[in-house]
Amino acid sequence: MTFKSLSLTQRLLIAVGFVLPAFLGLSAFSLNNAFQASAEKAQQKRLINYVYTILTTADFRENGVLILSDILAEPLFYIPHSGLYAQITTGNETVWQSPSSLGVFIALPKHPDTSNEYYSTITLNSGVKLLNLAYGIVWENDQGKEFEFTINVSEDLDDIEQQAAEFQRSLWYWLGGTGLLLLIIQALILRWGLQPLHNMSSELNAIEKGDRQRLSRDYPKELNQLTRNINTLLDHEQSRHERYKNSLADLAHSLKTPLAVFRGELERSESILDLKEMGQEQLERIASLVDYQLQRAATEGQSSLLAPVSLGTIIDKILNSLDKVYRNKQIIHQFEMAQDVYIHADEGDMYELLGNLLENAYKYCVKRVNVVIQVKRKVIEILIEDDGDGIPAYAQANIIERGKRIDTQVEGQGLGLAIASDIIEAYQGEIKLENSHLGGARFIVELPRR
Amino acid sequence: MRILVIEDEVRLREQVSQQLRKQHLIVDAVADGEEGLYMGTEYPYDVAIIDLGLPLLSGIDVIQQLRQRGKSFPILILTARGRWQDKVEGLDAGADDYLVKPFHFEELLARVNALARRASGWADSILRCGPLSLNPASQQVNKNDVAIDLTAYEYRLLHFLMLHAGEVLSKTELTDHIYEQDQDRDSNVIEVFIKRLRAKLDPDKTINPIETLRGRGYRLTLPRDI
Repeated sequence: MTFKSLSLTQRLLIAVGFVLPAFLGLSAFSLNNAFQASAEKAQQKRLINYVYTILTTADFRENGVLILSDILAEPLFYIPHSGLYAQITTGNETVWQSPSSLGVFIALPKHPDTSNEYYSTITLNSGVKLLNLAYGIVWENDQGKEFEFTINVSEDLDDIEQQAAEFQRSLWYWLGGTGLLLLIIQALILRWGLQPLHNMSSELNAIEKGDRQRLSRDYPKELNQLTRNINTLLDHEQSRHERYKNSLADLAHSLKTPLAVFRGELERSESILDLKEMGQEQLERIASLVDYQLQRAATEGQSSLLAPVSLGTIIDKILNSLDKVYRNKQIIHQFEMAQDVYIHADEGDMYELLGNLLENAYKYCVKRVNVVIQVKRKVIEILIEDDGDGIPAYAQANIIERGKRIDTQVEGQGLGLAIASDIIEAYQGEIKLENSHLGGARFIVELPRR
Repeated sequence: MRILVIEDEVRLREQVSQQLRKQHLIVDAVADGEEGLYMGTEYPYDVAIIDLGLPLLSGIDVIQQLRQRGKSFPILILTARGRWQDKVEGLDAGADDYLVKPFHFEELLARVNALARRASGWADSILRCGPLSLNPASQQVNKNDVAIDLTAYEYRLLHFLMLHAGEVLSKTELTDHIYEQDQDRDSNVIEVFIKRLRAKLDPDKTINPIETLRGRGYRLTLPRDI
C-alpha cells in the first residue's frame, strides 16, 4: 500500500500513533529524571543533618580525643545492620563508630577538606549499596594545635531505589492509560470531523444510482465551495442532458414532415422532374434541420465553472474572417468596446452566437456594420447593427421567438438567428431586435454577468 | 484554370471533380493532407478546395503550410461541422472562404469562380475585355454580344488568358493550366491553339487580342473592362 492510497482516517491515526507515544515517552523520561534528582537531593540533605546531629553531641578534649557525650536521637544508629551507619576517623584510624555499623566493613573514602561534603556510593561485600557522606572537620585546642576528623554517614540506597521503581511503575500506568484514552478520543473526533465527507460520498453514491438529483446544502463551510461546484456541475450536466434529449426528440419529430412530404410525392408524382425538384427542396430542409439541432445539442450552456473567454478576441477574429469572405462588398466595420470583456461561457458557444449574428449583419448590410459591447451592472450588452434594409415589422417577432421550430422560421434569416437565440436562452440572456439609425436591423443581446 | 481538390470522402471527391471538369476546369483530386500539401507545393493552382477533416495532415495544417511556403492561390475550405470556431480557425490559417457540407454544386462553383476572379483582380462575375466577354458560370464567350463557339481547350486557354489579361504568360504556364496532369504535354500545341483562338476571336484581324512576345510567351492585350 502506498501513502497515496491511505484514507484520511488512516493518515490521521498513523500520525497520532507516532506523535502520542513519542510525546508521552518524553514526558515520562523527564518526570522520572526529576523524581530521581529530588530523591537524591533529599537523601543528601538527610545525611548532612545526621552529620550535624553527630557534631552537636561530639565532645573534643584538649588532647585531641573525641568523645560522643550524648546518645544520638536517631535509633537506627543503634540497631545493627539497620542500613544507617556512622563512623568518625582521623587519618587511618577509626575513633568512633555507631553500634549499627559493628561488623559492617565500610571502605571509607579519603579525608575531604575541612567543611567539605564528599558524597560517594559504596558497595558492601554483601552487594548492598550505600550512599556515603564524608565530612571533614578541624578542631583546634587551646594551644592552637589542630586535629583533623572525618565524619562518615552512610545510608542504604535500597529505599530510594525502591521508591524510584514504584514511581516509575505508577508513571507508566498513568501515561499508558492516558495515551490509550487519547487515542480513543482522537478516533472519535476523527469520526465526527470526517462525518460530512462520509455523508457526501454516500450522497454522491445516491446521485450515481439516480436516487438523488444533487447534494444537500447542510455541509460545513469548508466544504461549501466543493459542494456548490459539484452541484453546479450536476445542474450543468442535467441541463445539457435535457438539451440533448430535447434536440434529439425535436430532430426526429421535425424530420418527419419533410419525409412525409417526400413519400407522398414519391407515391403521387408522375413526372421525374417534379420529383427531383421536390426532393431537392426537402433535402434542403432536412439538411438545415440537422444543422440546427446538431448546433442546439452542442450548445454547452451557462456554467460558472467555465473559464472566462475574451469577447473582444472572438469578435475580432470573426470580423477578420468575415472581412475576408465578404471582401467583394468592401464592408466598413466599426467595433467599439471600452476594454476587453470576459465572460464565463463556452468559447464555441460564443463563436456560434456572435458568428451567426455578425454574418447576418454582413449578409444584409450595404456597407456598414457596427458592433458595440457595453458592460452594465448585471449584464453584458452586445449591440450589432447594419445599414441594410432591416427586417419588416411583421417578421421581427417571428425571427427571434424562442423555441420556435426551424421549420416554421422565416426563410433566409432563419437558421442562424434561431441558433443564436437558442444559445442566448441557454445562457439565460435576452435578445431584442430594433431598427438601427443606420437603416438596417439592430440586434441587442444581453448576457448575464455571472 | 487548375483546381486542387483535397477531400477524403471518395464519392464527394469524385462528384466534385467530375462536375468541375464538366466546367472545363483542370482538376487534381487527392484523398489525404500529405499528398494534398505535396501537390499544392509542386503545381501552380488557381484555386484549392480543402476539406478540414483530412487523414494524415489536417486541412488547417495543409493551409498553414501552403501559406508558409509562399503559396498564395485562394483556398476554399469545406467543413462538415458548420461550427463558427472551425470556420474562423480555417480562415485564420489562411483560407479565403468556406462552404458547409452539404452544399449545392452551383454554390461551390460560384465560390471557386469568385475566388479565382478576385485573386486576379476581377470584381464582376463576368470577365470583360474590350468587345470580349466570358461567363465562367455558363462558359459562354461573346464578342460584341455574339456568341463564339470554342472547343474545350480553346475555352480553357481563353479563360486563363482573360483571367490574367495584361500579364505575360509563358507557354509552360499555359500548358500547366489547361492540361490534365497525366496528359501528354506538348507546348508546341499552345501555338496551334493560340492561332485558332486568334482566328475565331478576330477573323478580320482588327482587334489583335493576343500578342506574342518572342521567347517570353503570350499576353491578352485587350483592356479589362471592370
